[in-house]
Amino acid sequence: MTSMQAPRGDRLATAVSFVVALQTLAAVFFIGDALVDVRSAQPGLHVATELVIALALLAGVAVGALQVRRLWVEGRRRQAALDVAAGALAAVTAERFRDWGLTPAEADVAVFALKGFDVAEIAGLRGSAEGTVRAQLAQVYRKAGVNSRAALACLFLEDLIPGPVPADRPVSP
Amino acid sequence: MTNPEPAQAHSHRRWDPLVRLTHWGIAVGVIANRLVVEGGSGLHLWLGLAIAALLGLRLAWGFIGPPEARFAAFPPSPRRALEHIGDIRASRRTVHASHNPLGALMAYALWGTLAVVIASGIAMSGFPPQVRPEMGGDQAMASAGLGESDDEGHEAQGGAGEAAEEIHEAAANLLLFLAFVHLGGVVFETRRSGRQVLSSMIGRGSKLRER
Repeated sequence: MTSMQAPRGDRLATAVSFVVALQTLAAVFFIGDALVDVRSAQPGLHVATELVIALALLAGVAVGALQVRRLWVEGRRRQAALDVAAGALAAVTAERFRDWGLTPAEADVAVFALKGFDVAEIAGLRGSAEGTVRAQLAQVYRKAGVNSRAALACLFLEDLIPGPVPADRPVSP
Repeated sequence: MTNPEPAQAHSHRRWDPLVRLTHWGIAVGVIANRLVVEGGSGLHLWLGLAIAALLGLRLAWGFIGPPEARFAAFPPSPRRALEHIGDIRASRRTVHASHNPLGALMAYALWGTLAVVIASGIAMSGFPPQVRPEMGGDQAMASAGLGESDDEGHEAQGGAGEAAEEIHEAAANLLLFLAFVHLGGVVFETRRSGRQVLSSMIGRGSKLRER
């Protein structure tokens, strides 16, 4: 469920790249073709038109290329920010688990639970019985002082959501 | 601790799509033109022109592309190439934002050789390309009958034409040889530093973290 796909911006950059490459080919072929006309025909409306079209194609290439660069550079920046955030969240998670005194097995289960796997899936991933996972999960909730998976997730989310949160409102499960 | 490993910055480094597109487009075009398409045929000339267009696009990208695709990121430097060889000998792993210094030299060698192939090809057949009868190919006759004004084509005949043809063939052979060495370099670097060098050009650069 957490497989990382190419970000949307990257797919767009790839698509625009194809268009830019096609436009480049079109421009070169068109200019080649137009040169024949220029050499044989008298300068006139026809040749002028071809010149305008050639310029338009080249301008399209330039604009498209700059667009690709913008998308790509932005994508890299977003990725870098995401890496920092993911690293920071991982560090926070590890710290919390240590504070709560989770055993390595419980920490493992807690990570899977936070990632949204259900008990059966966690059992499959860890190669243990569902009953074991359920017991470990109960230990995690007990040590974290919560009584549900949603409340557990909220313990991490509350740090990420900016702005004042009414302190007197109970965390809804 | 068994946290999910934070996505590592270097695990999803990839070349931008325009670099990948021109790289593979030129690779396929050159191989096809050398090994499949009959030399001197109309298809050969137009495919050559398409390759030239892609090369032009990549070279322009070297000035306006993202930082790691620009020439400034991998200047041709024999000194740094030697240092890099020293790193390899000492089994030092170094991270390069763009091509490593040896790879950079290869990139310039490939582009330069390809430029010579293109220039000599244009010297032979003009721009736009005209198939000339003596260059062989069935299309040659058909094209000659079109009666286009092909003053360009005739200039290159005689001694200059033969010289261009020899340069064209020699440079094309050199190009294939360099491409072969380039492949060897990629294999070597993959064994030395991992699949990153390969995946960055294929595009599925990120090791997909399934679940």
